[in-house]
Amino acid sequence: MNTNEAISVVRVRNVLLVTMPADPDDSTITDLQARTLDAMSSQDVRGLVLDLSRVEILDSYFARTVSETAQMVSLMGGNTIIAGMRPSVAITATELGVTLGRTRTVMTVDRALDLAGQAPPRGKLQR
Amino acid sequence: MNIQDQGEVKIETETDIAVARRAVRDLASKMGFGITETARIVTAVSELGRNVHKYAGSGVMQWHALHSGENTGLELRFEDHGPGIADVNEALREGYSTGGGLGMGLPGAKRLMDQMDIQSTLGRGTTVTVRKWRRL
Repeated sequence: MNTNEAISVVRVRNVLLVTMPADPDDSTITDLQARTLDAMSSQDVRGLVLDLSRVEILDSYFARTVSETAQMVSLMGGNTIIAGMRPSVAITATELGVTLGRTRTVMTVDRALDLAGQAPPRGKLQR
Repeated sequence: MNIQDQGEVKIETETDIAVARRAVRDLASKMGFGITETARIVTAVSELGRNVHKYAGSGVMQWHALHSGENTGLELRFEDHGPGIADVNEALREGYSTGGGLGMGLPGAKRLMDQMDIQSTLGRGTTVTVRKWRRL
């Protein structure tokens, strides 16, 4: 297996950081959903940061999986923040017609980690 | 580096969609397409290759380098012997899908490329040809 094509899932503080490879095939994309939800439930994390900074194309299948995963994470009570989309990917995905639903996007993983670690916006304050 | 004028990639499994993407990415960058143009072409390959796999099970992507005066371009032909498309105009409409997808494959790929031609016969199969010209 080409290591360039593997997903990396690591915990950073109270956030799950998932980094996608440059050109994931369909089974790698399916793996994204399973591994992310598993890690969300087994580890005590507040949210998910999906790092797309290495990704070279976002087709309709990939976009739909990302948007569904974000929805599932939200049902489990977590935030999802997408980080680092390249300009060429943003242009192409928009022209193709894909969207990522209402998933929040930011430019850098740093910023995403800050946001994902915060309490959900409408949640009650905890002491 | 020498570039072959034509070639093909068989699309038989889901993994072959990624193989086709990689082949076309290499080709497009060798032909001098820019990063965004290459992303457009590769994304169209992914959508059209997935259509072949989803609707027909298998098929083939053939590619040809095009030369017209000073211009160079890339032609990609996706050919399958699947069920065919009953109404091509309907299939090009936004949000139309019979395969449980989002219905953006054909219209989306058309927007990403410069030209698209669809030949389809019910029960015989479908050939989708797309072209992209290099901007000088």
